[in-house]
Amino acid sequence: MNRRSFLWQSGGGFGGLAMSHLLASDGLNQPQAHLNGGLHHPAKAKRIIQLFMTGGASPMDTFDYKPELARLHGQNLGPSEKQEGFTAKPGAILKSPFEFKQHGQCGQWVSSVFPHQAKYVDELAFLMAMKSKTNVHGPGTYMMNSGFLLPGFPCLGSWASYALGNLSENLPTFVVLPDSKGLPYNQRGPFSSGFLPAVHQGTVIKTGSHEAVPDLFASKGFSFTNPQADHAGMALLNQINQAHATKHPDDSRLESRIRSYELAAKMQLSAPEAFDLSKETQITKKLYGLDQEITRDFGQRCLLARRLCERGTRFVQVWSGPQGATDNWDNHGSISKELPPIAASVDQPIAALIHDLKGRGLLDDTLLIWTTEFGRTPFAQGGDGRDHNGGSFVSWMAGAGVKAGTSYGKSDDWGYQTEEGTTYCYDLHATILHLLGIDHQKLTVRQNGIDRRLTDVHGHVIQEILS
Amino acid sequence: MISRLFVLVFLPLIVRADEFFLTKVEPILRERCYQCHSHEFNKIKGGLSLDSRSGWSHGGDSGPAIVPNSPEESLLIKAINYQDPDYEMPPKEKLSGEEILILTEWVKKGASDPRVSQIKTIDTDWWSLRPLKAPIVPRSGHPIDAFIEHSLEEAGLKPSPSAQSTTLVRRLFVTLHGYLPRPEEIHDFVNNTSPDAFKNLIDQLLKSPRYGERWARHWLDTIHFADSHGCEHDVKRPHAWRFRDYVIDRLNADVSWDRFIREQIAADYFYPSQPELIAGLGYLAAGPLELSRAGTAPLTFDYLDRDDMVTQTMASFTSTTANCARCHSHKFDPITQEDYYCLQAVFAGVGKGDIEFERSNEVMTQRQELEELIDAAARLDTKILLQEKYRATVDQWIENQIQKEVTWQTLTPEIFLASGGTNLTLEKDGVIFAGGHLADQETYTVSGQVPPKKISAVRLEVLKDERNPKGGPGRAGNGNLHLSEVELQWFEHGSATSLPLKISQASADFDQEGWTSAQAIDGDLQSGWAIFPRINESHQIIFELETPIDTSKGGRLVVTLKQQHPPKHLIGRFRISTTQANAEAARLLSSEAQQALKEAPLKRSQHQNTLLASLALKQHAQKSLRLLPSKEVVYGVSSSWSHAKKLPTPQAPKTVHFLRRGSIDHPMHPVEPGALSALNHFPARFALDPQESEAARRAALANWIAHPQNPLTWRSIVNRVWQYHFGRGLCETPNDFGRMGSLPSHPELLDWLAIWFRDEAKGSLKDLHRLILTSKTWQQASVPTPNTNDTDNQLLWRMNSQRIDAETLRDSVLHLANRLDFTMGGPGIEQFQKSKGPQATPVLDYRSFDWNSPEAARRSIYRVVWRGIPDPFMEAFDFPDLGILAPKRGFSVSALQSLSLFNNEFILHGSQWIARELQLKSSNLTTQVDQLVELIWLRQASTDEQRALSKYAQEFGLAALCRVLLNSNEFLFIQ
Repeated sequence: MNRRSFLWQSGGGFGGLAMSHLLASDGLNQPQAHLNGGLHHPAKAKRIIQLFMTGGASPMDTFDYKPELARLHGQNLGPSEKQEGFTAKPGAILKSPFEFKQHGQCGQWVSSVFPHQAKYVDELAFLMAMKSKTNVHGPGTYMMNSGFLLPGFPCLGSWASYALGNLSENLPTFVVLPDSKGLPYNQRGPFSSGFLPAVHQGTVIKTGSHEAVPDLFASKGFSFTNPQADHAGMALLNQINQAHATKHPDDSRLESRIRSYELAAKMQLSAPEAFDLSKETQITKKLYGLDQEITRDFGQRCLLARRLCERGTRFVQVWSGPQGATDNWDNHGSISKELPPIAASVDQPIAALIHDLKGRGLLDDTLLIWTTEFGRTPFAQGGDGRDHNGGSFVSWMAGAGVKAGTSYGKSDDWGYQTEEGTTYCYDLHATILHLLGIDHQKLTVRQNGIDRRLTDVHGHVIQEILS
Repeated sequence: MISRLFVLVFLPLIVRADEFFLTKVEPILRERCYQCHSHEFNKIKGGLSLDSRSGWSHGGDSGPAIVPNSPEESLLIKAINYQDPDYEMPPKEKLSGEEILILTEWVKKGASDPRVSQIKTIDTDWWSLRPLKAPIVPRSGHPIDAFIEHSLEEAGLKPSPSAQSTTLVRRLFVTLHGYLPRPEEIHDFVNNTSPDAFKNLIDQLLKSPRYGERWARHWLDTIHFADSHGCEHDVKRPHAWRFRDYVIDRLNADVSWDRFIREQIAADYFYPSQPELIAGLGYLAAGPLELSRAGTAPLTFDYLDRDDMVTQTMASFTSTTANCARCHSHKFDPITQEDYYCLQAVFAGVGKGDIEFERSNEVMTQRQELEELIDAAARLDTKILLQEKYRATVDQWIENQIQKEVTWQTLTPEIFLASGGTNLTLEKDGVIFAGGHLADQETYTVSGQVPPKKISAVRLEVLKDERNPKGGPGRAGNGNLHLSEVELQWFEHGSATSLPLKISQASADFDQEGWTSAQAIDGDLQSGWAIFPRINESHQIIFELETPIDTSKGGRLVVTLKQQHPPKHLIGRFRISTTQANAEAARLLSSEAQQALKEAPLKRSQHQNTLLASLALKQHAQKSLRLLPSKEVVYGVSSSWSHAKKLPTPQAPKTVHFLRRGSIDHPMHPVEPGALSALNHFPARFALDPQESEAARRAALANWIAHPQNPLTWRSIVNRVWQYHFGRGLCETPNDFGRMGSLPSHPELLDWLAIWFRDEAKGSLKDLHRLILTSKTWQQASVPTPNTNDTDNQLLWRMNSQRIDAETLRDSVLHLANRLDFTMGGPGIEQFQKSKGPQATPVLDYRSFDWNSPEAARRSIYRVVWRGIPDPFMEAFDFPDLGILAPKRGFSVSALQSLSLFNNEFILHGSQWIARELQLKSSNLTTQVDQLVELIWLRQASTDEQRALSKYAQEFGLAALCRVLLNSNEFLFIQ
């Protein structure tokens, strides 16, 4: 195997420093110090926390105020047939059951389901007219994560890991914190590294599990494993591998494996502390809602995301809601009954995260993203539920390089389709890569005949929301 | 002669000057429109290009932009006038009044446009598309060595010496069997000095079924096969394993490559008398399936599901990226968008699902005959039924019928209820009379003690009675009744729960036309048994139990009589009884048949003989069918499936449209099945007769692929095999031989191998393995780099060393622990705990798997591979994401991988197992350490090593030492 292709495949696994050292002579991707860690231009963001609302968060019941729906409530004005990707024939126009008010200096409308986030709208930049190419959860979730409707493509976090490597050798580069009730649609698909090496996939951490990182230590019940045996074993292994490597002096893979055990040992020292929330103050815990049943799960994971970012994890993805039709944002049955509890479970923790990141100065070089896979219909399904709608939905960004208190794009009067400033996942991803110092058109990997990009053949950096 | 493929690319080329257009119109278009609507700017917004006549006449997503002579109908003119707020062009600044006038005038006068599209050829003169032509072998000796040594010599390089025999044998076991050998397995070979020893070992390993298990995994990777759908509803495919077993079997049987192609694409068409080969159709169903999309977005589903089949078929067999032509003709290779949709049309008649098939031709023939006999009985086909060969069967049946005597015991009702308000009264002899309110629907429930011994059938008599309309036995105005459904339950004495009794057959003395006894047990409440016009007489219906129940402990039988449809057709008077006689003997014959039985044999009419034969042979055939081995099932494709649902009857192929820009919103013309027009060994459009079966489409593609003159197919497979033996193909991109792929390092060798494989080896993979493995090239040592420019070893001056893959790692640990279970085939092994998930996809917990359970030691190929929830341990060692084709395994190194290898329970168990084995053989630690080193590294420990390892083992145990050695590079890398 040639050194170049080997390094290409294994590179990101060593962590930023080691990788840039190894790759120095190869002229491949490498974070540039003079570009603040960017690849192609100066980076504004060093790390990312992405909050993903599984199921399709309703725009017209959260951030996209539509008075027209109240006026036309109950009238059958939508399509008369079931649309491709809808689960049922659309019903009558359905007004939002929640009260909307304008907030902050920017005057962003927010409904009563998000009282806490409403206080921070001046920190956020809203994409009010995001569009998907599908109305189906699985493909929609793939699309928002990997830019493709089909399985097998690397997600945003994997591309970031591949392009930039680690900020710290002590923790995994890309951590995924799924809802304690279960994995999102497509199971581990949304955090897959696809055709990139497996080392770039998201490391899934179940909160509440006794182990910070999978296989960090041997499980109990094996008498021959204990700290002394493990430590001496690693040392002996190093000795054996060093001796072996001297017989194969040109094989850099052997060196890399030796190094990987050193990193593993570092991770064993650092990870338990990073994942231990008990050292946080009561005030912080309360801020994130750890003292309340409804916010505890998401709050713990937001707090963990902050701790991991502080300690050098590049990309943390926090999911709200499992796959399925309950306990998430897929409110087919009743917006008035199903949305408030799931909204309440994330609202205070998200506000806390913004507040906390800001207070610690992390928001300056951390990008915070709130998104979902698509929106919902302005038409009723059943009584007062809403069906899937890729026509228009809302995402927001905050932090590094983002123009706070702005909004871009506009949906039509019903919130059914986008009208102005339409953005797709491609534009969102191009913008995120841009903030990481990466030109989305230049980050490519050849796979089965195509130079693949996160943004496929699309994508524009959304300059309007950049500071 | 190389064919040239003409691809239309719309580039402006001025052929005939047109004054007005050139001086007035074109400058406006260029200035104000091209930026978003021309090839020059590489932007065709909304699908509309304005840089050629065909550009605007085809138009964009909204249709033609200009209707010549008619400005008011032309979208372009409307747009520049800002007439429709949705179409204001150019969007940023309206054209000036004069510009608008010029364009309007131009359209009005017929929109004369001299710009025709330029015809650009994408060259088909490309290495992989050139016909195969045998190159001259540059020197004598082994042909592979001849080519390799020749190019080494040209580069001033020398091949490396042969590897040591233990290294070679380790390498050979891994490449052919997929696990490391135990010392005793190589002992004979290492001590055998005969020149044929290695060749014999190759033969021995190729003969072993372990070979098919190893190489099947390569093919399953290549075609992204898994045991679950993947995507949102990642549910298991319980029958997918049949295809996995098929691949193992066919590789072990060394089926020729062209036949392997035909079997997997169209076994049903090519080999109808080998029904067991239907398992091969699992090939086309290997990839993921988006169940959610199948339900809610069916049109999109069809195009994307077929896209997956096209992508897989063309990549795996011909190393071609046809899927790159979904939205536009291939940018680099001569594959038109039309070609792509023609390939989709090949699969337009099939859907993925559980396909039943016969395990052998013999069983298939028997089943067909028996089913035909049942059909013949149903239509009273004298010619068939009265054949001499059936005579004994029929006579025997008649004799049994005449002799049979069935006694019935009346059920004494203890509880009898009517849910709809009917008044049930018990009369004498267990008879129940139904009177009072006449409900629309009714359900009678009757229960009572039954006599000991057993019950084999239950009889319901419906009795005539003057109190009911027309004498009954029903309460409907015409004396009829409708028994929609019957259910039987058994409460054994002392048992709190009931056992539902399965009814295998119902028969009555008379069936009303369209309302037969069978309909009373079909599960459908809209159908049932009735007796009109034979009113004013009693009738009976008998329900045979699938298995008789033992009633020796006593208990209660519960009979539920549902009378739902049509309304008010209720039973007026009835009685229930049971028998322990043979259920078949209890079966009721129609009065006509009874009449025929009573007749003296010689006096029976031909009709009566036919009738009796039909009853006898139907019973005989049904019984024989039950004794036949059941059909097998594979997750494959057939015309009886669509949108992941089974259809009542096979579908005709769906119409596939050429989709403009690959969008289902823009269907253009329909297309017919075909393949790549860049090759001319076989017609690129199959031009099948519309009368031909659906399978003929797939068969035509299989023939196109497997054709001896298809240059891609033969290069593709020899390159794959080369890759698995050397760690890298002669062409490094096994799924892409196009311009975006790699160039072959040894094009002549590749062609020579392709032709040799096709003509000399007749498509035998085992011969190809033999050829490669006996070459000096493959047997070279993997020595350190000499002073050379070819550090990458492109020219193969040494062997590439490789880290073992996930399966080899796992199977080797089991084998070294002497636990590897060589049981072959069957349903996959679930190496996880499974529990219910939030929706259809279960939750898999790999960490709770019991590594001491019986199936834990099966070979890795038999693991259930859950597409969306793969085994984290295997994944850490680069087991691929099977959402996409995986023609080669990656190589990664990370801290997480090292943690996995050091701490994963499988490795810890493995260390313990191996240590225990050695401790049983010897109690001396030094011996144990020596044997451990020999087992894991296949060599003797040096004195220094022995000292260091023993010291560690002394302190922490042999298992701890084993864990360290399993983490060593010497164990993980094959030299």
